[in-house]
Amino acid sequence: MTSAPLQRPAPATALDSTTISRAKLGDIDAFTAIVEAYHSRCLRFARAMLRNPDDAEDMVQEAFVRLYRALPRYEERQRFESWLFQILGNCCRTANTAFRRHDARTVDDDVLTRVPSPHMTGAALDNEWGDDVRRALADVPDYNREIFLLHYIEGFAYDEIERMTGIKQSALKMRVKRASDMLRSKLAARYG
Amino acid sequence: MSNDAPDPILDRAIDELRRLPPVDPVAIRRIVDAAAEARVTAADEPVFVVGSSGRSIRIWSAIGLAAAAAVAGFIVRGAVTSKTPAQVVAQAPSATTSESLRQVVSSSAESSPILQQFIFENAHAHSVSVVGDFNKWDRSTAPMQRSSDDATWSVIIPIVPGRHIYGYMVDDSLFTLDPRAPKVKDVDLGTEGSVVMVGRP
Repeated sequence: MTSAPLQRPAPATALDSTTISRAKLGDIDAFTAIVEAYHSRCLRFARAMLRNPDDAEDMVQEAFVRLYRALPRYEERQRFESWLFQILGNCCRTANTAFRRHDARTVDDDVLTRVPSPHMTGAALDNEWGDDVRRALADVPDYNREIFLLHYIEGFAYDEIERMTGIKQSALKMRVKRASDMLRSKLAARYG
Repeated sequence: MSNDAPDPILDRAIDELRRLPPVDPVAIRRIVDAAAEARVTAADEPVFVVGSSGRSIRIWSAIGLAAAAAVAGFIVRGAVTSKTPAQVVAQAPSATTSESLRQVVSSSAESSPILQQFIFENAHAHSVSVVGDFNKWDRSTAPMQRSSDDATWSVIIPIVPGRHIYGYMVDDSLFTLDPRAPKVKDVDLGTEGSVVMVGRP
């Protein structure tokens, strides 16, 4: 199932290589263009990944700062977008571990009530379907959720995720399948 | 979308999860400012390069004078390396020289930069430089000097105490690990780097 190509692939973020080359040299305007191009996607990913979505803004900032400091070492042998999400994934995993350690008791209940929809307005918070989807996704184990998000939401191919994570494609597909099955079964119970 | 068979619930859920948050110019500005500040902080770390022959000295930053004073007291114990046939890929110094490869020489304070010697063997390289987090991986800031035996390259640079990741840039193009140092995977780049602990344990 999961090897089937996406029927509607996630749109790629347009960013020319000149911008990245200039950012490597420390051009802050070029770096600003990178942040503008990727900020919304990174925030979407972080909110879905983090056990405490309130930390999403901080994690996205941390990822961009780490990326900027590491830019001089970026050799362009790896797709820039993959590299950015690899850094962001590292930040989110670290934050989830710390959050679990800090207050494991309150995780489940709190997260279920705090998972925000992308649009934080009052009207958007009434989006029952959207909230149910995010609650269901929050129940998916982190290690399956991350791969599901990278593949179906951010549009990375399995070979690319394999390079990013070091996890074999067969295992990646299994994780996506498990996440999909869990998401489907939770939503089908109410909407099926 | 996710299956050969239609899966309307999952498709609809994926569509929902793909909705992007609105652009937030304030958050973007905050990130850019934080990154610029972080990079400035890294650039302000002292970089002070002295060739093993003592022929070239380059000093940056406000602590240049302090570093120069530290160099005045620098003592090099003999770093003897054996010639080993090498291709472009660098070769390791011999085991007998391991203890003299890195020498902490002087430091007046725990946080003051400490002079650190790097020795690398490659008879065929045209240029070698040390690159690491301590010099922003800039291959131009710590060029190594070729020794009289034509096979050994060395440089002494002041580094702030702590754990640092580094490597050697051979001929401005080939990043090579230090074969004598522990390796660690860079979580951001996914590549390996050599590790050096600078300062007192």
